[in-house]
Amino acid sequence: MRRSYNLYLFSLPALIVLVLFFVHPVILTFDMSLTSFKGIGEAKDIGWRNYERIFTRDRYLDEIWLTLWYTVIVVSALTVTGLFFAAMLHRLPAIRNFSRAALYTPAMMSFVVVGYVWQFLYSPINGGINVALRDLGLGWIEQNWLGDPDIALYAVAFVQIWMFTGFTCAIFLAGFANIPEEIGEAGRLEGASSWQRFRYLELPLLGPSITVSVMLTTIGTLKTFELPFILTKGGPDGATRLLSIDIIDNLFGQYKFGFASALSIVMLAVVLVVALVQNRLLAEKE
Amino acid sequence: MDATTHAANPAKARNLDTVLLRKRLKSGLAHGAVLVLVLIMLLPLVYMVMMSFKTSTEIAQNPLGLPESLYWGNYMRALSEMGYVRSVLNSLAITVSVILIVVLAGAMAAYPLARMKSRISRIIVMIMALGLATPNFVTITPIYVIFRDLGLLDSYLGIVLAFAALKMPLAVFFYTGFIAAIPLELEEAAKLDNCSNWQIFWHVIRPLLGPVTATLSLFVMIMVWNDFIYPLLLLTDKDKLTVMIAVYKFVGNTGIDPTRLFPAAVLGSLPLLLMFAFFQRKIMAGSTAGAVK
Repeated sequence: MRRSYNLYLFSLPALIVLVLFFVHPVILTFDMSLTSFKGIGEAKDIGWRNYERIFTRDRYLDEIWLTLWYTVIVVSALTVTGLFFAAMLHRLPAIRNFSRAALYTPAMMSFVVVGYVWQFLYSPINGGINVALRDLGLGWIEQNWLGDPDIALYAVAFVQIWMFTGFTCAIFLAGFANIPEEIGEAGRLEGASSWQRFRYLELPLLGPSITVSVMLTTIGTLKTFELPFILTKGGPDGATRLLSIDIIDNLFGQYKFGFASALSIVMLAVVLVVALVQNRLLAEKE
Repeated sequence: MDATTHAANPAKARNLDTVLLRKRLKSGLAHGAVLVLVLIMLLPLVYMVMMSFKTSTEIAQNPLGLPESLYWGNYMRALSEMGYVRSVLNSLAITVSVILIVVLAGAMAAYPLARMKSRISRIIVMIMALGLATPNFVTITPIYVIFRDLGLLDSYLGIVLAFAALKMPLAVFFYTGFIAAIPLELEEAAKLDNCSNWQIFWHVIRPLLGPVTATLSLFVMIMVWNDFIYPLLLLTDKDKLTVMIAVYKFVGNTGIDPTRLFPAAVLGSLPLLLMFAFFQRKIMAGSTAGAVK
């Protein structure tokens, strides 16, 4: 059926909303990033000096790496935990539906509530985790989870992994459901063990699910700021100071709108580059 | 194994019985082990609920165990001080408004994208993808400035528009995938009757969109309920706060008092947890299907 370009008029309302409250703000952010705007008064044009500062100081480069490292940890862990639970539940239909919903439940909570609750779980003296370890006779594992610079980032990452394991598990279970029955059956008749069936029959067929899951969790994790904002505020000693935390701090702690905007543009570039590279790589692999 | 084989060859039957028994035992163990793991994942939520019923002395003396009795005092105080009912109504009203905008504009925008493959389609899809990938703290400063200039700060209209822009790309992707799967033949009949594009959209396409609209609405609700930075900065009037901001303002940010925090956390999460209990299949299917498109 031939269509005239008039049909695109239908897209207009959505485009207007997006241009007004997304495209325009991004352009304004870029504009502001070339100034030393402090929220009030005149915005003084300072050229690329904000960007110069970002790319010549270790502090900001470290934050970019930390953001990427955090994402790598969370995304790989989420892929593994999601695959583990999905593979198990695929084999255990009796508890599949209940478990899938139970695992997904934390993803329904807000980062703010989750951050608050885990702050208490992690607290060094009376926190749930340390008390539980003591009660189990595992007192020697006790840690100052959020106060130790060597552990804090992983403690925060753990919370995010806890929250979204059910999400990746649901994606992988949908993938498992698409694998034809006969394939598992054939493997069983050949005497393949459960692990062999997973490794050589199911895993290769889960490619598209893994792609989707990795792409979604990567974008989601790169955007993280609420969890470290509530749990550690970037501390201790900068150990959890992701780029996003520094943006928020510059904005609302110091009102350095200009500089925060430059950081935001860098952040946006990081997200886009990661998304594009990943898209290319994963598409090729498939 | 039936009785006749047992009678014919008792030794072999016993052997088979132990094999079966072992198999059943193994399967039972696997079920039990995975179930225990799943329940461990739920412990933080159990902890949250348990803590909300403890007095402050109980929390100090018995930080992990079950509460001695169901102490409702924390909830009474949270309910009276955090403006809970009001914030729930605000969140609901904002949710409904955002859904109306996003559903109508999103479905309309998706129609040409699903039916025409041209450069314009690709550009629009690109803008939507960019919107989906952009962290919202990147645009929050200019939005704050724009809203200040337009007098939209601290208004329902402002927050609704900001949220609508945030969820529009998801809506467009949901609908594009769905409309693309509607057979063209359905439209062709209407075309022969000389229906306009709008009439086709409204009378042929729109009535079929129910399932996606339901899923999309659930996702909009989850966002409006849980999003933090937008309402925190764009709303200040105590009577206009969304649930999470009411929780955040009630709990505070430093020297957190657990007898305030835990009941507020439970109350803040309760509506979405209830919704999840009713619509879990739709939500989980949506997060995987929406993903693919």
